[in-house]
Amino acid sequence: MGAVIELDNVSTIYEGERIPSLHNITLSIDEGEFVAVIGPNGAGKTTLLETINGLLPATSGTVRVFGKNVKTHGLEIRKKIGYVIQNFEIDSLTPFLSKDVVMMGRTGRIGLLRFPNQRDWERVFSNMQLLGIEGFKDRAVGKLSGGEFQKVLIARALTQEPDVLLLDEPFANLDVSSRKRVSDLLTTLNIERSLTMVFVSHDINAIPEACTRTIVLDQGRIVCQGELETVLSSSIVQQLWQRGKKHD
Amino acid sequence: MIELPLILLITALLGSILAGLSCSTIGVFVVRMNLVSIGYCMSHAAFAGAAFGLLINVDPMFGAIVFSIATALFLGPLSEKAKLESNVVIGFLFSIMIAFAFIFLNMIPGNAATGAALSILWGSIFMINLNDLFLLVLLSFVMLLFFILFYKELTAMLFHRKLAEASGVNTKMFFFAILFFVGFTVSVSLKLVGGLLVFALIVNPTSTAYQLFFDFKKISLASPFIGVVSCLLGFLVSLEWNLPIGAAIVVVSSLIFAFSILFSPKRKKGKKPLFS
Ligand SMILES: Nc1ncnc2c1ncn2[C@@H]1O[C@H](COP(=O)(O)OP(=O)(O)O)[C@@H](O)[C@H]1O
Ligand SMILES: [Mg+2]
Repeated sequence: MGAVIELDNVSTIYEGERIPSLHNITLSIDEGEFVAVIGPNGAGKTTLLETINGLLPATSGTVRVFGKNVKTHGLEIRKKIGYVIQNFEIDSLTPFLSKDVVMMGRTGRIGLLRFPNQRDWERVFSNMQLLGIEGFKDRAVGKLSGGEFQKVLIARALTQEPDVLLLDEPFANLDVSSRKRVSDLLTTLNIERSLTMVFVSHDINAIPEACTRTIVLDQGRIVCQGELETVLSSSIVQQLWQRGKKHD
Repeated sequence: MIELPLILLITALLGSILAGLSCSTIGVFVVRMNLVSIGYCMSHAAFAGAAFGLLINVDPMFGAIVFSIATALFLGPLSEKAKLESNVVIGFLFSIMIAFAFIFLNMIPGNAATGAALSILWGSIFMINLNDLFLLVLLSFVMLLFFILFYKELTAMLFHRKLAEASGVNTKMFFFAILFFVGFTVSVSLKLVGGLLVFALIVNPTSTAYQLFFDFKKISLASPFIGVVSCLLGFLVSLEWNLPIGAAIVVVSSLIFAFSILFSPKRKKGKKPLFS
């Protein structure tokens, strides 16, 4: 079991900015790991995920996924990385049906000049079923609630049948029972298919129990990592969340 | 009603149908991808290019293609970056293109060019020849093929460009392909509809289709249909009342759009939310 994701001294600076949003990150994630990344708002969690899949080019350092440099093999690598984007406000008139949006996850995987076949649609519907959204398959995504749309985004990423799954605050809009459902689903995928996962959250309480490692990010740096228990009891983390509470 | 030789009538009729088809097909992308201002700018660049073509005595369509593609090459990369910056440049470029167009038109010597010059401004069925018709056929065919072959990539991108890129779609390539299609479409439709109005033919039928449907598949079928109907009706109106064809088409397509707003299912039932 080799490293699937390797970051070597990576810094990422947004265009037009001066301060790096990621600072000299060195990190290696093995196949089958379930990594949780936590940190306050603006810590650089989203930036980290998008640096891994190459949507944001690393300003310095190298990012390798599946042993290949993301800078040169980005397109090919992204076909095998699922990305559940941080929930966004969707225009209520968006003219795409839920099932079509879920199918879009498979676009790169199916490949150019090919059309979705029966098997592809079966994947779509079985994943929608797993998330309990099969009833919305013919609804326009713009008409869904935040939580329902969130589930569509998760189903979309699963339908890609990725080897690595990046999740950005996937629980943000979910109620307690939906959280449990998604959390169980992720755990099953991790254990049964040894799917490598990076799970981002600003909420310490949202971390699924199956997580094998927790990384704490603050101001673009990794400040602490290890098993969840150890991390939570570290003084740095307690300070961070203490600070957060005062701001609230 | 004006009497016209049959061959001219048929050429113009087919030209109208194909211009309607190609403009309203590419319109689906322009409207959804927020390319309205960049497309608007390209269509005015095409107008300036056509005027320049007349000035130096080459086919206006050729000048239009060169100018609008050059604009796409310049604005494309810019619009990928900071939004504000590109809008400022678009506004600036748009006015400069109109200014150029008028300067070029003014510089065309003698009276002979006036008819041609005016028709570039507001379109004419007399300007369109077999050559143009052939190009329109070719463009419509290539564009429909592009749309069908890459439907899956294109819709993924229209839904959310970043997510499409994240699942392995080369969105940059498709983005530029779309800009080029916009450039070619406005250029070959320009003689018929006119430089000032051609962009309305891209936006109106599509906006109508977006009013009527929630399913992208239906929108992408309805938009070309509405485009063709608008052009056919516009063509008839223009013959009947001896109006410039471009203006007639735009008035017809705007009326259809107005009706679609009245009857849009997106606006029916339930009260308008308090905040939206
Ligand atoms: N598009 C952007 N341009 C410039 N700076 C950005 C952009 N997106 C995020 N940032 C900055 O990068 C830092 C990290 O952001 P982000 O990764 O989104 O944080 P998180 O996901 O942990 O809340 C923040 O300071 C934020 O202001
Ligand atoms: Mg974030």
